[in-house]
Amino acid sequence: MTPVELARSVADIVTRRVKGTYSIDPWGFDAELTGLLADASRLRWSIELRGADHVPAEGPALVVFTRRYGISEPYVAAAALHRTRRPLRVVGVPDMPVVGPALRRLGGVLARPEEMTSLFRVGEVVAIPLSRTPRDRFDPGAIDPVLLEPALRLGVPVLPVALAGRELGRRWYVEIGAPIHTTLRSGPLADAELAEQVRAHVTTMLGHA
Amino acid sequence: MRVLITGIGGELGTRVAMLLEEEQEVESVLGIDIDPPRRRMRRADYMRVDPLRRQRTIDAVRAFEPSAVLHLGIYEPNARTNAGPALKRTEIGTLATFGALSGLDGLDRIVVRSGIEVYGRRRGAPSFPDETTPPDPTTSFGSALLHVEESALALAESTGVPVTVLRMAPLVGPHFPSPLGRYLRLPVVPVSGVFDPPFSLLHQEDAAHAIVAALHAGHPGIVNVVGHGVVTGLQAARMGRRVALPIFGPAWHSARLVSNLAGAPMPDHVVELLRRGRTADGCRVEETIGFRPAHSTPDVVKHLFEWASVVYLEVEPEAA
Repeated sequence: MTPVELARSVADIVTRRVKGTYSIDPWGFDAELTGLLADASRLRWSIELRGADHVPAEGPALVVFTRRYGISEPYVAAAALHRTRRPLRVVGVPDMPVVGPALRRLGGVLARPEEMTSLFRVGEVVAIPLSRTPRDRFDPGAIDPVLLEPALRLGVPVLPVALAGRELGRRWYVEIGAPIHTTLRSGPLADAELAEQVRAHVTTMLGHA
Repeated sequence: MRVLITGIGGELGTRVAMLLEEEQEVESVLGIDIDPPRRRMRRADYMRVDPLRRQRTIDAVRAFEPSAVLHLGIYEPNARTNAGPALKRTEIGTLATFGALSGLDGLDRIVVRSGIEVYGRRRGAPSFPDETTPPDPTTSFGSALLHVEESALALAESTGVPVTVLRMAPLVGPHFPSPLGRYLRLPVVPVSGVFDPPFSLLHQEDAAHAIVAALHAGHPGIVNVVGHGVVTGLQAARMGRRVALPIFGPAWHSARLVSNLAGAPMPDHVVELLRRGRTADGCRVEETIGFRPAHSTPDVVKHLFEWASVVYLEVEPEAA
């Protein structure tokens, strides 16, 4: 991009902000702002992404990612997925003033199955975190089975994602595993089975990373 | 087809009546409401009936013997009357109309206007509910709409007549009396400084065409009718070149007071829309009633502001 083109695109963005014609989606996601921040995140992190071709070019997908301390991971995962041209909706935003809406602008959604179902219906990529595992680097953590339910019910493919990196460091490794195709079924047993499958996948990938 | 329209005195009822007047298969149209239609009717008859007077409503409905009913007698608080009478008219008018219909032969379809206010915006409520999401209203207008829906579905069950419930996004437009429209047209628009949540709107023409489409489709069940896309309060104010004033918490009480004095009273469902947002998934509208809103939510906002507030005419001294 030449400096003139860059200046023009910045001017366009500023004009849209002032006129109020930028686009927001029903979950409060601001794609333009998030895209800018994802590009800017290269200054902070250098992310090595593997398995980017596992992300479907269109249609819904559920990303299950690992966390250690769980501070940077959601943002690193979103920045990594941004390179595959799919915005990531990370589950787990509190519905409270200031924090909630700010995170919603960046793609955060409420941790409710109805919320995930509505996103899958319009073909978005939704991410749920595994539980935090600060002690053990190779422990994938547990999955909340309730949050797997919408993907099982709608037959949405599940992408296991392993993240490895130090909280204050620059380098992060993000590995996206092959999609696990869910067959249409539901019930607590199906949830548990899928959760176990995802955990096994992630454990192998954490070993690699 | 003999069509009864309740609430013909509203902008929506009038427009629907005008669309039906042009259709060959509609033999006659009768509108009842407390206010007369807002345009000149060529074919439709109008009978002045205050919804609060039950017996008059029942007599009017029974005497006309409709084959189709469009129940548009839903009075939004602070649209044409104050909140109290509006909710009361909605409730009593609905009960009287449906009560009169339950004993009628020859009735083959009912279309009811409802709103996405029935979903409510409780903390943790889904942002983008669809028709399967259980309603949980959090405002007086939302509860009134839910009562209307419940009585409509009860009527459908007891009589076997297909009832289409159209849950519409808030209607605003340059000629449309609505508290949200008046509010957004204030010179200074208070918006939520801590949430600035997205909301969806529906164009008045889309609403009228959706009702006519639903009348022809006769699809039983609930359908959301929502303009695609969303805007936030801040965006709407900026699109209308208004000054957006971000406020939070207790400042909303003062904002309501000031906006009331400025001629734009804010009922609780409008405050909720601005503070908590209001959207719904309207993707089923095409497969169920065969119609799709043509205007997006940002279009509706643009249309709202196209109407000039006050035009000052140049006075020539010689002419005066």
